[in-house]
Amino acid sequence: MTQYLQDPAFWALIAGTPLAATAIVRGRKARANLRQEKAELEKRAADLDNNYAEAVQEAHNRAEEATKSALKSAMRTLQGLANEQQLAISKTQDKYGEHQLLQDLLEIDHMNSQFGRRAQSIAVLCDGWLGRQRAVASVYDVVRSAKGRIRHYTRVEIRSQSNFALVSRAVEPVALALAELLDNATSYSAPDSPIDITIRTVPKGVCVIIDDAGVGMNEEEKNRADKLLSATHATGVTGLGNPPQFGFAVIGVLAARYGFTVSVDSASPYGGVRAVVLLPEDLLTNMPEPEEQPTNHVPAEAEQSQPGGSAMTGAAVSGSTVSGATAGGLPKRRRKGSISIVPRADSTSAPARTSEESASIMGAFQRGTQSGRSANPNREGHDPQ
Amino acid sequence: MTAPGEQEPQSAQLVRPYVITNGRGLPENDQFNLITLVTASEQRPPSQLDPEKRSLLELCAGGYLSVAEIAGHMGLPIGIVKVLLSDLSSDGYLITRAPAPPAQLVDVSLLQEVLDGLQARFG
Repeated sequence: MTQYLQDPAFWALIAGTPLAATAIVRGRKARANLRQEKAELEKRAADLDNNYAEAVQEAHNRAEEATKSALKSAMRTLQGLANEQQLAISKTQDKYGEHQLLQDLLEIDHMNSQFGRRAQSIAVLCDGWLGRQRAVASVYDVVRSAKGRIRHYTRVEIRSQSNFALVSRAVEPVALALAELLDNATSYSAPDSPIDITIRTVPKGVCVIIDDAGVGMNEEEKNRADKLLSATHATGVTGLGNPPQFGFAVIGVLAARYGFTVSVDSASPYGGVRAVVLLPEDLLTNMPEPEEQPTNHVPAEAEQSQPGGSAMTGAAVSGSTVSGATAGGLPKRRRKGSISIVPRADSTSAPARTSEESASIMGAFQRGTQSGRSANPNREGHDPQ
Repeated sequence: MTAPGEQEPQSAQLVRPYVITNGRGLPENDQFNLITLVTASEQRPPSQLDPEKRSLLELCAGGYLSVAEIAGHMGLPIGIVKVLLSDLSSDGYLITRAPAPPAQLVDVSLLQEVLDGLQARFG
């Protein structure tokens, strides 16, 4: 035993054991730490991987939002200017209605309408505002308004009318959507081929059918159109392609926002595309009571002159005062009063006055003459007293 | 310019005049002037008539109206009204009448006699 005690190796062993033990323990700990760190790192790497996609998406969204808000405010300015210009053109048209200038004014008006439509379309894609308050308008007028917003509007023929009207909030969006459809129809068909519009009443509402005699769409184009037209797929400004194709994207946004449906998947009888816009019942209303005199100065006067007018042309009036529907199913306007320049026989009689009115008029007259007599005492040749 | 969020003070007509006439300006042979008188004819218009033409016919169904008055009542530029009128009259729904000729100038001596008479009686 003592030999071992003298052996330095023994002592070294004794001294070394705890050291070794400590080292082993330390090593284990370090390894555990390392493992933990590794796990953490792995987790972070995975997180980063996931976040990367999110971050890119977020950056994309942020860029999209920034683009949208910049474009939106720019378009708002342009829309305002286009509207202002339209009012100015209207005034000038009224002023020079008889002048040769009118033709040019009409063309300027047309260009301004197209300009306004472009601005509106971009605004719609940027979740902007259509910018015009409209009164209830007949479907026919809305279609005609849409027709006026495209370049080759004279090629568009509206084949039928409808006795339905659109509620005021739907007038502008539907007109814009129809204008975009008509723009597509005229752009993708021969320059002299006609575009036919039919308005049809269906159980679910009113259909506006646009037929062109163009080249039609291939499957790929149809799929793209369907995707854009369906509400599920919202395209931002950045997804319009190059060159950007606004049409279907704008129509899709409008249809989703205002609740009408647009489909372009059928072929027109002329070989081109048939676009069908279905306006549901909640966007429809009855025709507004026709406004007989847009200027509407004195309704009472018109009422008064009616007997004279009806005496003149009894047959015509008896026909037009009957409200109801014509043979073609159109609502018949009721004429409130004819504005004839031929005076009626008894129209000279002054309107009856009440006794109070006559008394006050006579009193005023008397006061007037009295004050006149007393006001100018030194007027030549007249002595007041 | 309107401030953002503010509503437009007014908006122009929904259907622009050039759409109403389908791009036509003043007619070539200008058979209408401001004081031409028109009235609706006996011929019944078809039911598929543009709303503007229909209201124009209704407006002058009661008697003769001048072109200027029609334009005023319809709120349309006169040139546009003339296009509508020439369409309607060529289709036979309207009858036009030349304006009444301007009155002949009255003889000055007659006026003088009237004046003298009045002065003799009341002067």
